[in-house]
This record gives sequence, C-alpha cells and structure tokens, in this order.
Amino acid sequence: MTPRRQRQLLDAALIPLLAILSGLVLASIFVLLAKNSPLVAYRELFRAGFGCTALARCGFLTTLERATPLIFTGLSAVVAFRSGMFSIGQEGQFVLGAMVAAWLGYAIPLPPVVHPALILVLAMAVGAAYAYVPAVLKVRLNVNEIITTIIFNSIAILFMTYLVNFPLRATRGSTAVTRPIDATAQLPEFLPGSHWGVGFVLAILAVVLVWIYLWRSVTGYEQRMAGQAPGFARYGGIRGGRAAIRGMLVSGALAGAAGAIEVLGVHHQVLQGFSVGLGFDGVLVAILGQVHPVGVLLVSVLFAGIRLGAQIGLQITTNIPRELGGGILALIILFVSARSLYTDLLAWVARVTGRQRAPGKEAA
Amino acid sequence: MTSPIDGRGGMDHQGPPLAVEMSGITKYFPSSDVLANDHVDFAVAAGEVHALVGENGAGKTTLMNILFGLVAPDSGSIRVDGRPVRIHHPDDAIRLGIDMVHQHFKLVPSFTVAENILLGIEPTRAGFVRAADENARVRALADEFGLPVDPTARVGDLPVSLQQRVEILKALQRDARLLILDEPTAVLTPQESQELFGVIRALAARGRTVIFITHKLVEVIEVAHHVSVMRRGRMVGTKPVAETNVRELARMMVGREVLFRVNKPPARPGRPVLEVDRLTVTRQDGVQAVADLSLTVRAGEIVGVAGVSGNGQTELVDAVTGMRPADSGTIRLLGQPITHLPVWDRRASGMAHIPEDRLTVGLNLQTTLDENVVVSRYREPQFSRAGLLVREKIAALAEWVVSRFSVAAARPGEDIATLSGGNLQKVVLGRELSGEPTCIVANQPTRGLDVGSIEFVHQTLIDARDRGVAVLLVSVELDEILALADRILVLFRGRIVGELDAATATEEDVGILMAGGTLEAVS
Repeated sequence: MTPRRQRQLLDAALIPLLAILSGLVLASIFVLLAKNSPLVAYRELFRAGFGCTALARCGFLTTLERATPLIFTGLSAVVAFRSGMFSIGQEGQFVLGAMVAAWLGYAIPLPPVVHPALILVLAMAVGAAYAYVPAVLKVRLNVNEIITTIIFNSIAILFMTYLVNFPLRATRGSTAVTRPIDATAQLPEFLPGSHWGVGFVLAILAVVLVWIYLWRSVTGYEQRMAGQAPGFARYGGIRGGRAAIRGMLVSGALAGAAGAIEVLGVHHQVLQGFSVGLGFDGVLVAILGQVHPVGVLLVSVLFAGIRLGAQIGLQITTNIPRELGGGILALIILFVSARSLYTDLLAWVARVTGRQRAPGKEAA
Repeated sequence: MTSPIDGRGGMDHQGPPLAVEMSGITKYFPSSDVLANDHVDFAVAAGEVHALVGENGAGKTTLMNILFGLVAPDSGSIRVDGRPVRIHHPDDAIRLGIDMVHQHFKLVPSFTVAENILLGIEPTRAGFVRAADENARVRALADEFGLPVDPTARVGDLPVSLQQRVEILKALQRDARLLILDEPTAVLTPQESQELFGVIRALAARGRTVIFITHKLVEVIEVAHHVSVMRRGRMVGTKPVAETNVRELARMMVGREVLFRVNKPPARPGRPVLEVDRLTVTRQDGVQAVADLSLTVRAGEIVGVAGVSGNGQTELVDAVTGMRPADSGTIRLLGQPITHLPVWDRRASGMAHIPEDRLTVGLNLQTTLDENVVVSRYREPQFSRAGLLVREKIAALAEWVVSRFSVAAARPGEDIATLSGGNLQKVVLGRELSGEPTCIVANQPTRGLDVGSIEFVHQTLIDARDRGVAVLLVSVELDEILALADRILVLFRGRIVGELDAATATEEDVGILMAGGTLEAVS
C-alpha cells in the first residue's frame, strides 16, 4: 500500500471519529444543563442503542432494523453522487416505493416470497422512473437536478398524503391509514417481536452489489469517470449523459426499495405522515460515509443507534429528552461538514513534522 | 496621490539601475513536498540583461516570485543595491523599483491602453478622468522607451505581443528599475520575439535591469549578458553569455548531454489515412474558429500544423477527434466518413488522440493508473466480460504502459495524481499507442514538459510514424514543428494559409505565415 493510500484510509477513519468525539463533547454541555452527568447519559445511550444483554432484549438488533432504510437511501445517494448527479430526490422515491408496497401488499393476492419479491421489483421500477425525469431534464436541458429533485420530493409527499387520505384510506377513524398488507407480503422477521429481519439482509446484499456495480462493472466505471472527470470521460468515448441517467435509475431503484422494505418489513401499512425524512437522511449518511457503500453501512448503524439510544436510553432511563439524540447527530454532521478543520489540522501536523525532515531547514 | 509622471509629460526616471543579490534562498512547499529553492544564490548586476533558465519545476519562477514578494522564503536574504531588504508583498517590491510581467497578463481587455497603464492613478479633474491627459502621458512614456503603442486602442483588440508591451509600459510607468519577464516569448511568433529582444536591449540601454526567464536557450545567447541555470531547485551556475554555448547550457539544465537533432529518417508516405475536406467549426460564442479547412495526412508521415495559439487549433483537433461537432465539411479515416461519429467509434476505427490538456482531459487524476489506461479501450472484449471489468487484463495493460514507456514512480492499481508532468504524458502516450492506432492526433504534446521528456515524446511520435502511423501534430512551438514534421501547414485565423516542405522550410518563412503575412510580399 502506498503512503498516499494509507493517508487516505487514515483520514477516512480519523475524520468521522474526530467528528463524533467533538459532537459528543459539545453535546455534553446540554446534558450538564439538564443536570445530568454526561458520562452516565452516554453510557445509557450506548447501552440502549448498541448493547445486547439477551437476544430478546437486544437494542442493537433494533438499531440494525432502523438502519435498514438508511442504508438503502444512503446507497441511493452514493450511486447518484458517483455519477456526477447531486440528486437529493431519495425522499420522493422512498415515499413512492412505500406506497407501491402498501397498496399491492393487500390489493393482489399472491403466495409468500413471490408477493414481496414482485412488490420489491415494482417499487424499484417506480423509484427509478421517478428519478428518470430529473435525470433527463438535467442531461438534455441542463436543468439543475438539485432543484428538480427537491420539487419532486414535495410532489411525491403530497401525492402520498392524498392516497392515504382518499383512495387507499382503510377506516373512517380519526387517523388516515392504509389497510394492513397481507401476511403473504410481509418480510419475515428473525426474532418474534422484533422487525429485524430479511430487510436487513437485503440491505447488506445491496451494499455488496452497489460496491461491485460501482467498482467492478463497466457501467459503474463509466459513471464514476463521467462524474469525476467529465472531460476525460468524453475524451475516452464515454457518453456521460447516458452514464448519468443510468446512475439515476439505479439510485431511484435503491430509494424505492428502501420505501417498500420499510412497509413490508416494519410498518405493514402507511400512516399519514409516514415520511419522516429517511430519504433526506440518506444524503447525510452518504456524505458522512465518504460516498462509499461500506461507509454508508457504518454511518447508518451509527445514526440509527444514537437515535434509538437517545430515545430509549436517555428518555426512559434518565430524564433527558430524546431530542438530544437529534442534537448529537446534528453536531456530528456539523463537525463533519467542517472537515477542513481536521484536514487543516492534519496538514499542519504534517508540515510541522515534515519541516524537520526537509533539507535546508537546519541551516535556517 | 502623486504620480511619478508630472503633468507636462516630462519624465522623472532618474534612478540608477538596480542590482540585486539573493543569497541562501530556500523554499519548501509542504503541500506538494517540493523543495523549490535549495540555498539558491543569485546575483544580477545593475543595468544588465540576465537570463534565468531551467527546466519546468527547476524553481525559476519560485525564485522570482520571492524577489517580487509573492512567495515568502523559508530562509535566505535579499540585498538591493547592497542594502538588505525585506520584501513581504509586491507593493514592497514595486516601492524598491522591482516589477514583474507575468506569463498571464493582468490587463482589463475592455479598457484602452492608456486606461490600463494608468489604472488607479488616473489624472482627474473634479472626479472625472481626463482621457486627453492620460493619452498624452502614455504617448510620452512610450516615446521615451521607444515602445510605440496607440494609447487609445482597446487592449482586447491588440495582439498578444502588444498586450505584453502594455504590461511592460505599465511597469515602467511605476518607475520599475528592475523588470522580471516570466517566459515572455512563450506566446510570441519568432518575429515578435525579435521585436521583444529589441525592447529588452532598449531597456538595458536606458538603464534598466532585466531578468528574463526562459527555457529557450537560443534566446539566451541572443539577448542576455549573463545566464544563470537552475536544476531541481538548485543554482547550477552563472556564466557570461560570451563564454558559453547552447550545448553547455543544455547540459547544465538537464544534467546530461541532450540530443538536439531528433533521429529522423526520411518519411515514406503511403495511402491517405486522415482526410479533412472543407471543414468549418463554429465556437459556442458564434466565432467561426475553423473555416473551410482541408488537409490530408498519409500513412507514415507527420503533418505539422503551426500557428500562434488561438488560431483555431483547439477547434480543429476537437472536430477531428469528435469532441466537438463540425458545422460543415467531411472528415474521413481510411476512406470512411467519420464526420458525425461519436468519439468511441472514431477510436474504434483506429484514431488516437493526445489532447492539449492532459490534466483534465487526457487523464483523470483522481483515480488509478489502471482506470486511466483503459478509458479508450474498456469495451474491448479482453478488458470487459459480461458487463464486468477484467481487472487482471487491465492491470497487465497498465504494467505494459509503465514498462514500455518507462513511467517512473507509477505502479498498476495506484493513483497517478503525484506523477510529474513528463510521466503523466508518458501514461497518455502509452495508452494511445497501446491500441496500435492508424492515426494519431497530437495537440501540444510537449506543453509544459522538460527537455528530457520532450525528447522522449518526439522520439515516440517519430517511431510511430516509421511504423506507418499517420500523425497530425498541432503545436505552437515552432521548433517542435520544424523538428518533427514532414510537411508543415500554417494555421492563421482558422485557415491554412500556407503549406511548406519541412526539408526546405525556414523558421522565418513559417513565422511570417503564422503572423498572417505572405511569402510573396517578402520575396
């Protein structure tokens, strides 16, 4: 391994670690303000989010369950970013994928396995189709994909609200909710009482497949080259526009799958307000995970764990409101965004140590 | 604010020429881990023309940027006229009478010559600029130094050589007594270079010291009194020009003997390979960059397209290689029309392309050697199977490029970002030649390379020619065209204005055509 490669890996690991540490240190001020010991609070948080005393009471398995949609939306963002498209349309594609699952989950009677498989494929197709429009607008007419995907998110969320309130509304009760899906469509769970199940396995599979796609397949190569160095790609004969559209299709399919798996594996129906920003979180997860599938996996688990830990560990065991979890995440994101802080710091360290090695300095 | 020029047009440039002595200058750039200057001693006598030569990356420009206050040295001292000085900022340098004309001019194109020269110190009355006064002052300044220029002309309309003159006048207006010219001839035709040398001699005769950065050794012999040679951050030596010659200077620069004549057997042209017929290309801003241009390149010959930069070279190459659409005309490769084919199909038909911008077009510096060498060939069955890349084969290709073209410090699977310019160009050459092309389109293939790498690139192109490849060589370096081409076409404002046989063409002839002149008018 070259020194440069080692540096890259070191930076890739060091920067998120420093960010997490800084976030926790800063957040401890708020814990102190709530008249609690930060050490106790963080111990409870990590015990609830990442601990596992018995299989039946295993917070970490719940964390993995909650990380599942984040992994998919994070991968969706990775594929888009790697093809040079700054798509933040995961939320919209996620919501549409979820609606496909909620509807077909009870509307078509099918045997087990076939039922969820078919739904998954269709949800992916719908997500891909929904990503196709902003992609084509960008490639053909140079319409900014950030703006179109944001608009498309709003449209999808409003469309979901309409579906849940009118055509797919199950009861006349006070809350708008779709009919629960058939048992045949549900994704199996590994432990009774926990939703940790096949969905997570699919997420791990997706991490591997996305990695192979991006770094081993011809289309992935085309996409990365077009995203990284458009002039170089064009010079080599890669059609950058096509590559970008393909990337967006894959990205949309992954986000659509995220929505469907969330319905098939966890909620089994869609409530009004189902969208809780899991799509948007995908963008954050992708960036914090260094736009890499493995990074996405790690950051997703971390995100889900801190949220769960704040919700269970803090809220229930101590008196600190669970919003602190969101606060910690926000601070971590802030510190990762300020990554130039660390790169400057690391560069400064390199300079100070390097200077002593540089010839000519001794004579100064 | 007082101007060094008084209102009646009389001049007050009475200061004596400056002498500068830099000693023990050391500068290390930690970000790129380059020791740009390593205890450099450099002295310039008052009133002389002093050439500073060295390969790219030898540290010439860094040394001069330190003198001009743009870069802070890690250690070392500077004396001006014997007095120790500290130069932290260009303002300090200008106050001392030191000024610099950069490679890239810092002029406002939409302003007139006078407005540019007097920018910031315009003569005003009641807050309004007095254009008549401005023009008179600039005219007087130009007369004093024998640098004729029209003060009312818009700078954007002037040729590069006159823009350079405006930059020099601007420095003289600030009472510069020592002028640093950073590669001033890089953008000029041979005739314009001759004029510039006249200007430099006139400056010296009027008591200015001139430091002249270049890597063209013939120019040094022609205009300088002393020459200092740098190599890899160190000062190799300083010599009176009268006591040295081009061969010795080249050896000092490179550290070994340099072949000046490329080993080039006579060409044996075969059938036409690349045929361009009445090609017209319009740029995005509506300018017709290539107009009604026709040319033919045969197998086994190098056709050189000479011309001053910006006369349609980029557009011609882009249209031929498929990077840019042609408006009209046809392009044929081995008889097959390729005018409207995408890049990939042209490459598949045997076209290779060495682009002028190797850093963002020829290579992707953010990725590995493997992914760089396969970009034009990854769809071949040997490099991809069932939609997946065949990594061993690609690594083998990378290995072949590295060993066949002796790319130092590059290994398959590793990033290429840290390679030097010469090694990066070897990667481009290796990739383009690996597919055994029938036609190579090379645009400025040695731009920014050091002497050793230039030799390598030239020999590679000639070897390809001798194997029967048709080579279209586009270059603004006249030496390169004269050394390599079998036939020379001169490009001026998007048209071929002349064709010369390389065996009989002289630098003067090509230079006249490059400047838009005709040979009949001279002879």
